[in-house]
Amino acid sequence: MLNENEVLKIEHLSIQFGGLKAVDDLSFSIRKNEIYGLIGPNGAGKTTVFNCITQFYKPNKGTIEFRLKNGGSTNLVDHKVHEIIRLGLVRTFQNVELIRELSVLDNVMIGAHIDFKASMLEQALKLPRARKEEKALREEAEEILRRLDIYDRKDMLVWGQPYGILKKVELARTLMCRPSLIILDEPAAGLNDVETLQLAQLIRRIRDKFDCSVLLVEHDMRLVMDVCDRICAISFGRFLAEGSAKEIQVNPLVQEAYLGSKEEEHA
Amino acid sequence: MNKVKTQLNFKALFKNPYVQFILFGLVLSTLPLLSIQFSFIKSAYITTVGVALIYAIAALGLNLLLGWSGLISLGTAGFMGLASYISAYLTVDMGLPFEVALLAAILVPTFIGILVGLVSLKIEGLYLAIATLAVSEILRKTFEEFDQFTGAFSGKSAKFPQLFGMFQLDRGSTYWLIVFILILVMLITYNMVNGQIGRALNAMRGSEAAAQAMGVNLLKYRLVAFALATIFASVAGVLYVHFIRYSYPSSWTLKLSLDFLAMIVIGGLRSIYGTVLGAFIVFAVPDLFLKQIPYFSQLSYTLNGILIILVIMFYPNGIVMIFKDIRLWVLKLLKKGDRNHVK
Amino acid sequence: MSTFVQILLRSLESGSVYALAALGIIVIYRTSNITNFAQGAVGMFNTYVVTFLVIQAGFPLWLAILGGVGTAILMGFTIDYLVIRHTKKVSPVAKQIITLGLIMVVLGLAPMFFGVDPLNLPRLIPDGNVNILGANLSYNGLFNIVFGFTLMFILFYILQNTKVGLAVRTTASNEYTARLMGVPTKTVTLGAWALAAVLGLLAGVMIAPTTSVNLNLMDVVQVNALIACVFGGFQTFYGPILGAYIIGISRNMLLYYYDSVWGGQILYVLILIFLIFRPYGLIGKKVVKKV
Repeated sequence: MLNENEVLKIEHLSIQFGGLKAVDDLSFSIRKNEIYGLIGPNGAGKTTVFNCITQFYKPNKGTIEFRLKNGGSTNLVDHKVHEIIRLGLVRTFQNVELIRELSVLDNVMIGAHIDFKASMLEQALKLPRARKEEKALREEAEEILRRLDIYDRKDMLVWGQPYGILKKVELARTLMCRPSLIILDEPAAGLNDVETLQLAQLIRRIRDKFDCSVLLVEHDMRLVMDVCDRICAISFGRFLAEGSAKEIQVNPLVQEAYLGSKEEEHA
Repeated sequence: MNKVKTQLNFKALFKNPYVQFILFGLVLSTLPLLSIQFSFIKSAYITTVGVALIYAIAALGLNLLLGWSGLISLGTAGFMGLASYISAYLTVDMGLPFEVALLAAILVPTFIGILVGLVSLKIEGLYLAIATLAVSEILRKTFEEFDQFTGAFSGKSAKFPQLFGMFQLDRGSTYWLIVFILILVMLITYNMVNGQIGRALNAMRGSEAAAQAMGVNLLKYRLVAFALATIFASVAGVLYVHFIRYSYPSSWTLKLSLDFLAMIVIGGLRSIYGTVLGAFIVFAVPDLFLKQIPYFSQLSYTLNGILIILVIMFYPNGIVMIFKDIRLWVLKLLKKGDRNHVK
Repeated sequence: MSTFVQILLRSLESGSVYALAALGIIVIYRTSNITNFAQGAVGMFNTYVVTFLVIQAGFPLWLAILGGVGTAILMGFTIDYLVIRHTKKVSPVAKQIITLGLIMVVLGLAPMFFGVDPLNLPRLIPDGNVNILGANLSYNGLFNIVFGFTLMFILFYILQNTKVGLAVRTTASNEYTARLMGVPTKTVTLGAWALAAVLGLLAGVMIAPTTSVNLNLMDVVQVNALIACVFGGFQTFYGPILGAYIIGISRNMLLYYYDSVWGGQILYVLILIFLIFRPYGLIGKKVVKKV
């Protein structure tokens, strides 16, 4: 069961592909308004954990309890992948999954998909309710773009925008559903040092302004150490250690996992 | 001062997409009047243009499916044919009013379409193309063999529609009905693709993972797209049989389904006007102007095929983009000229 | 009993035709990631070439077939070289549309070369029957069955046991990695398109004597071959072949024992229902997509 101050609690999570155990008996929990990091060397199963939480994969074992907006809780495993966002849990993608043929604003509006109440017929005929709803959500999307400093690009096509902007657009899209937990899949991938620094600030700002928790799945240590309140390290799908950035940095198990993988790379 | 303001308002008015659709409809509906005025516009042109517009309705549905949602159906002609036979049977053999026949002729194919969609769209988009190919084979056989209902190879005849049991239309007024419904379908399509539904379909095509993460139920929206395509095809089928007043099995072959594909790919995927343009390029232009050239009816099919391949490879947004591209190009040239002038 | 055997043998014959066509589709699907809707149309065109060589040029049939194999290979090469090779960045749906465009090209070209009248292609073995368990089968039918099995056996042997086969299988499982490992994937794809065209031609030549050579010659074959792929599952090479023979047999059984008009259509409906329960086909497995 979830404790009072927790938004997500994973217990005994396991999933295997064929004979390979990608995640093995993993447990951790995330508190309210916390930025939590999940780290591990390449192939540690980070993204698999991520996909289990968002139900893109169905885990073989374990529970994933999630705090609902009304204060109750639910096991995410019982939900279909497209229902997850309705619970207040939303994700980004490693390789930025935006729709190239749409404008920045329209891409952000996709994040409001679940907020539409008007029926298809009302929308097809553009009846007053549909029109009002569209306008209100459009203004909300513009407000989010303003807060992320990309309002001036709202009518441009996503296609051809620089990578840093695309990441922001994807973040803006997640904010449309007023999430209680955002999970970011390797957000620093493809960014340079300066951009990574800005991203760290942005993540903190989002946590404060939008009053939500953030789960960061990351390979890049700079970002994780900079921004996370607590960090969980895994290796080969198993739990290694949990603690603050400092604690994790000096943890011998974590060092071994990272250095060990380095040695393998050299070999 | 006042004058300038009204001028500006006029400009804004013409930029309004709804006004544009209505103007487009008005332009199209002048054709029967023109053919009375000018002898060089033969009245046979009304039939050709009318059929092109009917095809454009079905093609718009296919564009929702293929252009916006990224799903292929090879059943467009089959469903259109089914609707045409149902409407002909209900109005002629059963003596039911046109409106009732229209409704039934939309509901039955759509119901079948949703069943097929339920089976094939659960897994991957690819299966829809094959399932609809099988369905179009089943329908073709039905049209040929089920002769109490379809008249088999001798075909099935129907009359010009009678609206509300009072107004008997003739060819010219049926043409106006076609234009009216086309504009209506264009408006509805415009509303849908520029709102929540359109964004969901776009997301589904662009990234299934992102669509799901944003709460788009893939099966539901694939079904919605396919149902809309079937509804539009059915409407087109009903209009066809009451405009041409005949329906033959040979009208509803796979070849026609491929023609629909050609219309939207060549005209412009995800473009409403492009679809209408495509219907003219693929159907009306060969029929009006190029038929006189020997061999052309065969060659036009080959040309459409080549055009599809070329457009996909080199100009994926379709011929409709040419206007925009030419304008951009001219503007660029003018700008260059200006700069040279300043220098 | 003898009727049953008779139908079974006929089914094996039509099953061979579907299987050859299905194999052509699956080879292209696995190497180029394209569902080739033009398989039947290309086969139809090359069957026309064979018929033309026999009727107009007076070639003996075997030589005409060799000629057809030649044009089929040429066509396969051309399609891959001029079109498919340049569609790396095009989405899978757009690639399917390209093959649909190819159908239109071929359907338009065929009448210009060969006229609009249906032609007749003689059987490879003109006459003679063999009696098997009280059932009559023409030598030609027997030859088709044996030939179909042999050809597929040879192809599977090559696929599983030779270096060429390994290259094809590596390309099929991951084109990008295969290229990094030094597999000449371009050549593999080129070969796949040629092979598929030849398989289509052979299917066409086998089925042509039972009807006439016309533009719709391969329509039923194409539909059945695609459905065989869905039925058998797209993930293996042998699933579609199995599917093709099952379709061949059950189609003929339904046509004879159940309804001579609607048997074929009922089969399609049955297969669609089957897919509700096994969406990935007979052999297919669920593929976990990487997100």
